[in-house]
Amino acid sequence: MPLSKKRIGIVCPYGWDTPGGVKSHVNDLAEYLIAQGHMVSVLAPSASDENLPSFVTSAGRPISIAYNGAVARLLFGPVAFSRVKSWISEGNFDVLHLHEPAIPSISLLACWAAEGPMVGTFHAASSRKKIAFAITPFIEPVIEKLNARIAVSEAARETLRIHLDTDAMVVPNGIYADRFADATSDPRWSGNTIGFIGRFEEYRKGLSVLIEALPQIVNQIPDVRVLIAGPGEPETFLEKLEPHLRNRFTFLGTISESEKANFMASVGIYVAPNTGGESFGIILAEALAAGASVLASDIPAFDSLLGGGEYGTLFQSENPKDLAVKAISLLQDPVRRSAVAKKGHDYAQSFDWDVVAERIYDVYEMAMVGGSGVTLSSDNRAWIRLLGRNNE
Amino acid sequence: MNDFLFVFFLLSILAWYLSFLATRLNRLHHRVETSWANLDGLLQRRAAVAIEIARSEISDPAASLLLTFAAHQARDANMRDRSQAESGLTGALGILLENSASAQSPMELELIHELEDLTAKIKVAIAMHVESVTRTQMVRKKVMIRLFRLAGSAPLPVTYEFEGDVI
Repeated sequence: MPLSKKRIGIVCPYGWDTPGGVKSHVNDLAEYLIAQGHMVSVLAPSASDENLPSFVTSAGRPISIAYNGAVARLLFGPVAFSRVKSWISEGNFDVLHLHEPAIPSISLLACWAAEGPMVGTFHAASSRKKIAFAITPFIEPVIEKLNARIAVSEAARETLRIHLDTDAMVVPNGIYADRFADATSDPRWSGNTIGFIGRFEEYRKGLSVLIEALPQIVNQIPDVRVLIAGPGEPETFLEKLEPHLRNRFTFLGTISESEKANFMASVGIYVAPNTGGESFGIILAEALAAGASVLASDIPAFDSLLGGGEYGTLFQSENPKDLAVKAISLLQDPVRRSAVAKKGHDYAQSFDWDVVAERIYDVYEMAMVGGSGVTLSSDNRAWIRLLGRNNE
Repeated sequence: MNDFLFVFFLLSILAWYLSFLATRLNRLHHRVETSWANLDGLLQRRAAVAIEIARSEISDPAASLLLTFAAHQARDANMRDRSQAESGLTGALGILLENSASAQSPMELELIHELEDLTAKIKVAIAMHVESVTRTQMVRKKVMIRLFRLAGSAPLPVTYEFEGDVI
C-alpha cells in the first residue's frame, strides 16, 4: 500500500484497560498500519503503564464519569493536557487520527493543541438535541480543525450532521474477516441453539427481551437452548426464571477471541436484541463473517448493517413476540437460514481490515496533502514566531 | 483606576478573541486552497488516464472520440464550467467501464485499476473540499468577522457544485 512510510498518531479517548468498541477499533487499526510498515503511536488513558502494547502511550489514569447515558472512562485536565502536548511534539507525526473528538477527553485536547493534518472518526450515534445546542459553540471551532471527518455508520453521520452541522465520510469499523472465516463448528454449541454475546447485565443489550420471548419459542422448538457468553453475574437473571426455563440457559462467562469465532459459527442463530445505544454493531459484522445466521433488533445501526434484512433477519426492537416468531421460523427452516448466512458471509468481507484500513489510509493521504506534519498550535502563535525569528 | 483596569481587561479579551477568530479563518482559507489544489490535481490526473484509456484497446473508436473530447473539455474548462465538464467525463468513463469486460492485457487492467483508485480518492477529495468551503462561508458570516474585516481581501470561496453520486 504505502509508497512511503508515515508517522501516524492515533488518540483513543476511552480507558485502554476496559474493553470497548472504540478501543478495539484503535488497537486493530494500529496493528494493521504497523504491519504495513508505518510508525504508529497510540495515546490513550490507562491506569498503569504495564501490560500496554508497545505502541500505546499512557496519558494518565482515566476518570469514571457518567457521560451520554453510560459510565465512560475519560481523561482531561491540565496534567493530561500537558502530556498530550508533549506526545504531539515528541511524536513528530505526519498525521493525527483522533477518535471521538467531540467528547470531553484527550482526543478533544489533542485537537485543540495540534495544528496540521488531522482526521477525526466519530463513533457515537445519539439523538440528544438539547445538549448539542449547549456544547456546539465550544466544540465547533475545535472540530473545524479536522481536515477530514469519518463516521463509522450512517447513524453516526446523521448525529454529526444534526449536532455539529458538518458532513462526514462513512467508513465502517473493521474486522479481521479471515479469523472468523476459519472458525469451526463446535458440537457443544450447535443444534437448535440461540447464541448471545455481551455484557448481559446491561439493559440495552436486550437479554430480557430474549428471556421474555423464550416461553413462546420453547412451545414450538422443544429442544431449544440459549448460550450466553460475556462477563456478568448469571444468578440474578436465573432467579427470576421458572425452573423449566432456567435449565435451558448456559452461561459461558467471558470467552476468548478464537472461542468467540467458533461460538458464532456453531450456534443455530446468533441473536442481538439490543434496545439501542449501538452505533455500528461490529459484533454483527463478526457474526456474519463467521457464517452465523443473525437475528437482530431493528435499531438503525443493525438495520443498516444487515442491509435492511438482506444479510440477516430483523425483528421489531423490544418486542419479544416478534423475536419469538422470527426465531421459530429461522430454526424451523435451515435451508433459508444457511442461504441468508452465506450471503451475509460474503458481504462481511467488505468490513475486512484489508478494505477498511485502505480506505482510512486514503483519507490520511488526502489530509496530508499540502501539510508539513503535525505541530503544536502554541508554537505557531504570531508572537512566538516573531520572537523565534529575532533569536536567529 | 479600577475602571481603567476593567476596560483594559475587556480590551485584551477582545484582542485575544479577534486573534483567535483570525487564526481560525486563516486556517480555513488555507484549507480551501489546499483541498482545491488537491482535488484539481486528482481531476487532472483522471483526465490524463481517460485520454490514455481512449488511446488503448479498451475502447472502440466511437468511445475513444467521446472520451478524448470529454477529457479535453474537462481540462480546458474554466472554474464555472468545470464541474459540468467533469461530470461529462464521469459519464463517458462510466459508459466505457460498463462494457470494459474486454479489458484483457495487464496494461489495460492496470489503467482501469488506476482509474478506480483515482475515483475513490476524488470522492474523498470532493467531500473535503466541499466541507472546507461551506465551513469557511459559515464562519465568514459571523458578525465579528465582518465587523472587523478579518477576512481581509481574501475572496469568498465558491462552492464547487459536484453531484456527489455522479463521480
